[in-house]
Amino acid sequence: QVSVMYFARSAELAGLRCETLSVPREITSLQLWEEIVKVHPRLAVIRDQVVFAVRQEYVLLGDQLLVLQPGDEVAIIPPISGG
Amino acid sequence: MEESEDLPKDFIKLKSEKLSADEVSELVISPCCGAVSLFIGTTRNNFEGKKVIHLEYEAYTSMAETEIKKICRDIRQKWPSVKHIAVHHRLGVVPITEASVIIAVSSPHRAESLEAVTYCINTLKASVPIWKKEIYEDEYSWKENKECFWANSEK
Repeated sequence: QVSVMYFARSAELAGLRCETLSVPREITSLQLWEEIVKVHPRLAVIRDQVVFAVRQEYVLLGDQLLVLQPGDEVAIIPPISGG
Repeated sequence: MEESEDLPKDFIKLKSEKLSADEVSELVISPCCGAVSLFIGTTRNNFEGKKVIHLEYEAYTSMAETEIKKICRDIRQKWPSVKHIAVHHRLGVVPITEASVIIAVSSPHRAESLEAVTYCINTLKASVPIWKKEIYEDEYSWKENKECFWANSEK
């Protein structure tokens, strides 16, 4: 069970900012995205623009294998615009 | 020996109140430094012919602070003579002409602090999880920094 956090456009599309999701302990970042889109199909439109932050490290959507611990923070990160 | 005055410090703050350039520059002043360089990012009132009413900022706060700390660490590796670094970023609603970010860096001589400030704002725009929404009269738009390495530029 991980804590998924949504920001900016992804929060608008998902309709919430934070939730707990059950996902496999070992999963690729792309598979994790697909799990999340199953719950929030409207997120599909931003697939090419987002990355994840897993335990506060950026992860691209792809084949990278994630090893998740219960309670880990996973954030959906749309293109940033600080400064 | 006044050790607390000699140790380099990073001052990082994300807050919703109005930012103060005086406050941020005073944080980095040090007796050993002859230079304080400052960058202030302010909100423009227009984008592509549309009138901007105000900006709204949100952040992944804990990670944003961590990423800014990494930038400070990088600055100290590249410019070892840099003394203090202060980065204040505003969150929530920012009216036009008010500051959304203020960066101050002190160093004994001016070259290092000037270069470090430039590096700091450029890297912040590329790596810190903060988002800006521009509110126009009829609509709004989530902005995307061109420095953002995962933004899809072909839309």
